[in-house]
Amino acid sequence: MQSEYMYQLLTKMKDGDQQAFHKIYDATYQDVYRTVCFMVDHQQDREDVMNEIYMQMWTSLATYDTNRPFHFWLHGLVIRQVQRFRVKSWRRFRIFERIRGFSQEESHWDQPAVLTDGTNQLISQAIQKLTDKQRAVIILRFYHDYTLEEIATLLDIPLGTVKSRYHAALQSLRKNKGILPSERMEKINDY
Amino acid sequence: MTIERKIREHLHKQAETIECPTAISKRIEQSYSQYLKRKRSEVTMKKRLIGGIAAAAILIPTAAFAAPPLIEMLTRTPMTAEQVKVDEVGEATLEKLYSAFPETKSFEIIDASYVQGVQTSIILQEKGGTGKKVTLHTNGITGEIEHVNQENWEPKEKPLITLTDQEIKTKADSLIEKMYGNVEEYEFTMEQMENPDQKTLMLNYVKKGSETPFYQVFVQGNTISASLIGGETAHANIQVEGFFSLNGKPDYTADAFINDEKLFSLLKMNPTELKQELAKGKSVVEIAASKNVSKQQVIDVIAKTQVESQIQAEQNGEIPKNNQSTEQLIKAIEPKVLQVIEHKTETPW
Repeated sequence: MQSEYMYQLLTKMKDGDQQAFHKIYDATYQDVYRTVCFMVDHQQDREDVMNEIYMQMWTSLATYDTNRPFHFWLHGLVIRQVQRFRVKSWRRFRIFERIRGFSQEESHWDQPAVLTDGTNQLISQAIQKLTDKQRAVIILRFYHDYTLEEIATLLDIPLGTVKSRYHAALQSLRKNKGILPSERMEKINDY
Repeated sequence: MTIERKIREHLHKQAETIECPTAISKRIEQSYSQYLKRKRSEVTMKKRLIGGIAAAAILIPTAAFAAPPLIEMLTRTPMTAEQVKVDEVGEATLEKLYSAFPETKSFEIIDASYVQGVQTSIILQEKGGTGKKVTLHTNGITGEIEHVNQENWEPKEKPLITLTDQEIKTKADSLIEKMYGNVEEYEFTMEQMENPDQKTLMLNYVKKGSETPFYQVFVQGNTISASLIGGETAHANIQVEGFFSLNGKPDYTADAFINDEKLFSLLKMNPTELKQELAKGKSVVEIAASKNVSKQQVIDVIAKTQVESQIQAEQNGEIPKNNQSTEQLIKAIEPKVLQVIEHKTETPW
């Protein structure tokens, strides 16, 4: 994905070029969908967020900063939409709260079918137990390999906050995962 | 293996197993085509706006010239079919139409409205059948039919725009000949407008030696709309300068606002008469009041003309676009208009 080429495509798409749309979609949807999956648990919600992200893509091209890589813009868009969706889902939750009265607590976890490995499942669950904010940092750091500075820009929060979220997340992962003590030792020696 | 590496590997491995469901792709594709549809209708609206301004038309809600923001500016009063038939302007318009196209006598009046002293509009549609539609806009002062809009007169399978240029010209010629008279003395040009979504043709009939077209015809889809630009209304074009005076010298400050054809027709007076009245020390508002025209009507008419010319200048790229809506522009200009129309000659601004 070359940034300049992508920008041209985006402009074309915005002007109504269907081919450009397909090119962009094909180039991005896997990456976007996977990111969304990591950050949003409900299947239906993922679908909604995905839709929102692409809607934003063709309405808010104006925010595209050509000095930054295309990925960066794309992930910024993803993050913002996920966050916006959270605000919405909280609102919705509050409304339904009374009706549902916590009677049915749906399973938020992924279908376990995809995870064959026991340890992997443990990690997945541990990641899902993180707070949304911590999770965003972890996904950006380890799945997209952004530096903490870049994450700060993406999330629009101070670097210090990113660092604290990052370390808190790692701490929590270690605890939840119940990883063998030997590994803990290794970890401690790292610092 | 450190926890960082473990998480990284895990995430990448897991990502491999996640496949985007086709349902999502389909949904997004739908959203995009909806976006396209919306966008297209915007584009065509803009184009129509330009066309409408070029024809110096007052845009009103018809199927072809749907420009909602502009409608609210002039107070348009709806009329029933019966009212049209007893209305002086309406009756004359219908008579002209019936003599030009006898088959329209059986048509039903489906919509009609008028703006006091400016325009009367009538829309007729064939009962049943192919839905042939005629829209007429008549100048409220001169009684001249300024716009004729024919919709769906060609069979659906073979809409107007698919005909050859020569056939389209023949159609336009016959429409003008039937409604207005001979077109042989006019120079004819046809051009395609830059409208990627819908082919639009503009046909101009220019009197020899004249720069602006006398008749202008737009053809789009299965619609043909002819506008009378020159003719009877042209006499009002004579511009008078220096409506006000200051210290005995002509004051051109307000000319740009007051030299407005629509204002003259609203006040039912020509520019020279208006200048004479102003010279007596009356304000435009006072003159309007004596003609039973309200202050708001005057503001509306002037503000609209100014905003239209501003939009047109923006479209032509003469001035930078400011992306304000028509309503915002009108709101912005109203105080200035007010100042002009309340101004009296020989007083400082």
